[in-house]
Amino acid sequence: MKFDTLIIGGGLAGLVCGIALAKKGQRCVIVSSGQSALHFSSGSFDLLNTLPDGSQVSCPDRAWSALAAQAPTHPYVKLGKETFVRLASQVQPFLQKSGVLVQGSGLCNQYRITPMGTLKSTWLTLDDFPVCRMPDRLPWKKVAIFNMAGFLDFYTQFIVDEFRKIGTESSVHLFHFAGLECLRKNPSEMRSTNIARMFEKKENLEKLVLTIRQESGDAEVVLLPAIVGLVAKDGLEMLRCQVEKPLYLLPTLPPSVPGIRTQQILRKCFQDAGGVYMLGDTVKGVEKEGNRIARVYSCNHGDIPFVASNVVLATGSYFSQGLIATPDRVYEPVADLDVVYETGRDCWYDLNLFARQHYQDFGVKTDAGFRGIYQGNVLENLYVAGALLEGFNPIREGSGAGVSILSALYVAEQILSEKL
Amino acid sequence: MIESYDVIVIGGGATGAGVVRDCVRRGIRVLLIERFDISTGATGRNHGLLHSGARYAVTDAESAEECIKENMILRRIASHCVEETDGLFLSLPEDDLSFQSKFVEACRHAGIRADVIDPKEALLLEPSANPDIIGAVRVPDGAVDPFRLTASNIIDAKAHGAEVLTYHEVTGFIREQNRIVGVKVLEHKTKEVKSYYASIVVNAGGIWGHDIARMVGVTINMLPAKGALLIFGHRVNQMVLNRCRKPADADILVPGDTISLIGTTSSKVPFEEVDRMLVTSAEVDLLLREGEKLAPVLAQTRILRAYAGVRPLVASDDDPSGRSVSRGIVLLDHAVRDGLEGFITITGGKLMTYRLMAEWTTDLICRKLNVSAACTTAVEKLPGSREAVEEIGKKMISVPLAQRNSTIYRHGDLAEKLAENTVSEYSLVCECEEVSVGEVKYALNELDVHNLVDLRRRTRVGMGTCQGELCACRAAGLMSSMHKYCTKRAKEDLASFLNERWKGMAPIAWGDTLRESEYMSWVYRGVCGLEWSQKQEE
Repeated sequence: MKFDTLIIGGGLAGLVCGIALAKKGQRCVIVSSGQSALHFSSGSFDLLNTLPDGSQVSCPDRAWSALAAQAPTHPYVKLGKETFVRLASQVQPFLQKSGVLVQGSGLCNQYRITPMGTLKSTWLTLDDFPVCRMPDRLPWKKVAIFNMAGFLDFYTQFIVDEFRKIGTESSVHLFHFAGLECLRKNPSEMRSTNIARMFEKKENLEKLVLTIRQESGDAEVVLLPAIVGLVAKDGLEMLRCQVEKPLYLLPTLPPSVPGIRTQQILRKCFQDAGGVYMLGDTVKGVEKEGNRIARVYSCNHGDIPFVASNVVLATGSYFSQGLIATPDRVYEPVADLDVVYETGRDCWYDLNLFARQHYQDFGVKTDAGFRGIYQGNVLENLYVAGALLEGFNPIREGSGAGVSILSALYVAEQILSEKL
Repeated sequence: MIESYDVIVIGGGATGAGVVRDCVRRGIRVLLIERFDISTGATGRNHGLLHSGARYAVTDAESAEECIKENMILRRIASHCVEETDGLFLSLPEDDLSFQSKFVEACRHAGIRADVIDPKEALLLEPSANPDIIGAVRVPDGAVDPFRLTASNIIDAKAHGAEVLTYHEVTGFIREQNRIVGVKVLEHKTKEVKSYYASIVVNAGGIWGHDIARMVGVTINMLPAKGALLIFGHRVNQMVLNRCRKPADADILVPGDTISLIGTTSSKVPFEEVDRMLVTSAEVDLLLREGEKLAPVLAQTRILRAYAGVRPLVASDDDPSGRSVSRGIVLLDHAVRDGLEGFITITGGKLMTYRLMAEWTTDLICRKLNVSAACTTAVEKLPGSREAVEEIGKKMISVPLAQRNSTIYRHGDLAEKLAENTVSEYSLVCECEEVSVGEVKYALNELDVHNLVDLRRRTRVGMGTCQGELCACRAAGLMSSMHKYCTKRAKEDLASFLNERWKGMAPIAWGDTLRESEYMSWVYRGVCGLEWSQKQEE
């Protein structure tokens, strides 16, 4: 199977890179083993919320120099300030053209609402989620929060109490109607995605509209857990039209309905641009010739190799098995790329779960052009994008989505510039 | 108002709970004081092995005899806490097979049935066992759930009028000349200090009993011995697997509920460390290395957690060097030993003999109080164990099968309280362990739950493979909605619960466990923005 570019990993980084390449006419294939971090997304994309030293970031472009001083191998630092700013400015229009509508304020951070009801710094937010500019004030005085009775992955009282602290009153409305009762038959079905599937049915949605219209009273806005809009946004748009009040979604505990939809939209965009998406296949290994990847083998295709001018590794970190940790080392399973990690697992962890966890800093070593390194030698046609990169801590910094998107766009640029 | 009792028992482990139950059933007014939750010490941090006594047969005949007697009693009185799995003592090529005959002889002498079986037959009985074995002996080992056992003793004691105060810490004693007449207690929640009076105070504080005794100027020569264990993600073996040799490190693999446990190591630790038992990577490596010899499949089995407990070993009174250590029961009447009236210490022993320890202690109390009632705890069944599983199931036929079976497994006949549950209460809070909303509500209403960790001890919420990823948040929400605490406390409790889970995961955080941990970080720190301050830890 011959392609211009083979992308291993179908999460945010793999899809963004694939779209960027396919839209420029490249023949691309994405091999994806299934879930990605998008499946538990908050509905927002972070660029950089916190510097490694713990100081807060309000505008990531202005924090670049401090980041460069503190984390010299950070993917953003490898990009250089100019490229970082240029690519970051492209993200919102890029996502928009791909069908993912986001709101943001340029290169500055804004605040989103967490499932705990607190406000948290972020960069771009899906347009059906609320955002605010201030960390301690909401744009409304009175809100109506609706939730399905018995849905345990969204606890309204957390939100009510946090909102009250910052001067916003909430009324809580639990709904249950016949169309949803079948969910209770199987006790493990009460998850966001299963409920969302029920709301793909028009009659259930209409019932919800009616409930909201009857009960929302004098609230300025209606807030609903993200349990609508799994497959298409039509349902959500109908809801927003008919409720006669601004309606926003709030994130739930996983799985993330908006995250799954975002992934599907990006995948469709990639396929519409001519890309081939192979879902449920896993890359087993590669054959190198000199400093190049010559052939790539997958589980489903046995001894028929993928042959591509370039290979992009976007396999994620531990969760997605882009990195694998054993008791004594961390390795990259596809091409056995050089990985930066500390020896001795005692220093991988902090016993406070909420402190900096060093294992989250580990990643694949690359050159300045994000090309992978095998036993000290740069592989000429293997690029690395997303969570498996070295030099950053996505959770502590709040930089996971940003690194995925920016590194993917950059890698796509590198590959395209080669052809010229 | 002066709060006065016949007896105050310090320590909510199995021993303390057993003493309280025995006392109250003999008509004695008793108060239990525990500084944290029940079973937070060594009771909750061991193998959960229903010893047949075979392990001690060669080295300690007295303990072996006590074990087999109590083993048979617990099967009767605590059937819902016990799994009758039987056990195998395996000889590997590196072990001396001549030990086997000595072992069997000693077992029989102690009254423990020990059948030598063909290694091939042993492998049919227990396919996970090392195929290289050269010998196998079958003994009546089993599995016992120490949380359940302790909780059930407490439930019975309370039902008969005992009072139980958890999160109350004894900070001092009230003394009149050479007699202890009461204790000063700090209530952790309110920070209030109260006094409680009793004719007799029983020190059942396990290793912490050392410091409790010191408060009244009594020295007990205790040696804190740390034992580390690993929990595997699924049940590898159906029978208990032991090495047929003199007791050594990591030579027992116990199946329990949905998991298997390998342990233990044994190392002396200083008293300053007994409240912060962390498992080291060297201990993990040793447990795995030895465990794989019993069941080679452990090398490919996911590890869920590592944890460690502290055994309260007691040196003989006549040996100040502390070398002559007994694993037997130590009952100290400080009136006789130290001239201090109204104070008794019960220590040493092991989980298996908790009931016997309680009986001895209560016998002594009765002599002092001139009570003539005899002990009934060897015959009276514990709550939860009074009905056959089939009968309980019949009464709960409307509850969906998964929830029905898991609650009966956990609560025995007490699960009947969930029979009237409505459909919304069948929803699962914890999907790994099949804990329903109804079960959580029952625990919150009736089983003295103050936080998520307490809830976990009573229901297994968060003990499955995901270690609380989703259920922790669900349970915190439920607790808050039932007004157990405000949402601010709920979030703090959620963070501290997740941190408690992480402490057991960090020593073995590689492979799938690290994947799970990273996911947990993403969800709670990333999506939820949950934080945790140092202040909370204190």
